[in-house]
Amino acid sequence: MLIEIEKKSKTYRFEANAGEKILHAGLRAGVPLPFECATGTCGSCKARVNQGDIDEGWPEAPGKENFKAAKREMLMCQCVAQTDCNLTVPSKIKAFREDDINPDHHQGKITDYEMLTSDVLRFEVKVPIEGTFHAGQFFVLQAPELEGYRAYSMVNYSQSTDTLEFIIKKFPGGELSNWAFESNRLNETLDVFGPLGRATFHPDEGHDLFMIAGGSGVAGLMSILEHANQVNYFQDHKVELYFGVRTPNDLFFAERFRAIKTQHPDNVSINIVFSNEPPTSEQLSGNDGLNYLTGFVHERALPAVLEGGGNTMHYLAGPAPMVDALIRPLILDSKIPADRIRYDKFN
Amino acid sequence: MSWKAACPTGDVKQDKIKECTIDGVEIILVNVGDGFRAYPPVCPHMEQYLEGSGICANNVMTCDRHLWQWDMKTGEPLGPAEKPLLIYDTKEEDGQVMVFIDEELEYDFDDDDDD
Repeated sequence: MLIEIEKKSKTYRFEANAGEKILHAGLRAGVPLPFECATGTCGSCKARVNQGDIDEGWPEAPGKENFKAAKREMLMCQCVAQTDCNLTVPSKIKAFREDDINPDHHQGKITDYEMLTSDVLRFEVKVPIEGTFHAGQFFVLQAPELEGYRAYSMVNYSQSTDTLEFIIKKFPGGELSNWAFESNRLNETLDVFGPLGRATFHPDEGHDLFMIAGGSGVAGLMSILEHANQVNYFQDHKVELYFGVRTPNDLFFAERFRAIKTQHPDNVSINIVFSNEPPTSEQLSGNDGLNYLTGFVHERALPAVLEGGGNTMHYLAGPAPMVDALIRPLILDSKIPADRIRYDKFN
Repeated sequence: MSWKAACPTGDVKQDKIKECTIDGVEIILVNVGDGFRAYPPVCPHMEQYLEGSGICANNVMTCDRHLWQWDMKTGEPLGPAEKPLLIYDTKEEDGQVMVFIDEELEYDFDDDDDD
């Protein structure tokens, strides 16, 4: 199917395969279509259908709030072209960075699968070709017998790799989550599409980093820490991470944090915030280099934000309500400029 | 095509967004300290209702959806925002905020002047 998107300055044309989401087809062809969550919840990839037939995919997608049926408005991340189509995309079509990597479809195979806590598991997906992604990016994953993609940020980082490392939280009602936890999925295959996402880290920007993560949202921030550490970034830049989980039993990645902290103790500050139980006495002894606190992660993190932000880039990652609860005080109280806040909101 | 009373001036507090409907035209009103501004009710990016998504501080409005920002006095875009806010003329008269509504101002969501 030929998809045409007319803008005043030029007309974009790309081919969509049968059954392929229009957003995927465009991004794959190098057209920097607007999107954010890529999974139907945010509404950023809105388009109007001028000509042609589409299958809407998920007509009740939450991202369609305020959309006008009469104007044939739809989400490019959900719909599939059934004929050649002519679309209008109201948001600007513009590239983010020159070094962005065109996303693509891959058949991935699960090559590692382990429980990190009682309700968080870690798995690795091997894809057929070596490539890279920006630290902080995500892929959308679809299990074979399930309808619809879910977004997961990579945990790992490498300049060139065929392995994507993810964590996934047990989430009642989450289909992919249920599928992943149901049984050991080692050696099973998944459809994956990516890399996607702009809550990314780029060493050439030279920012200090302030990170707030809730639960499995820490994935993308772990990738940023790994990339930064690989290029010895913390030699002369600071990072302050606040990572919220419920109890000491829910904590994961402590070893990985510690490894980075040990290399640059003065510039790396890792704060683990437990919402439901106090830290253990061993944690409080302070021997492992990490700080352990009690409370809600946003309440503990916000007082540490530098007013005006200085040279700092702020990364927010976690459940959408947590991210929403942070954006307002960051802008209002801490006076952080909007372009110094990067976040992903996956519902 | 005339000046219309929107609401008492005391109803439009600084750093708050007040929604009004005048002769069927929805607007939002803000207090910029030395006067008032009236805009269409939605964000020019993705039509989010700013009464819910707008954050006002220091005469800068931010839509919390994708962090577009504007100078509330001029409507000019700041930071990542790509389009200005449209502004209706306003004045104060007899304790009321008056808004000049000639025709409903609407954003052109097909205005796609790319880089």
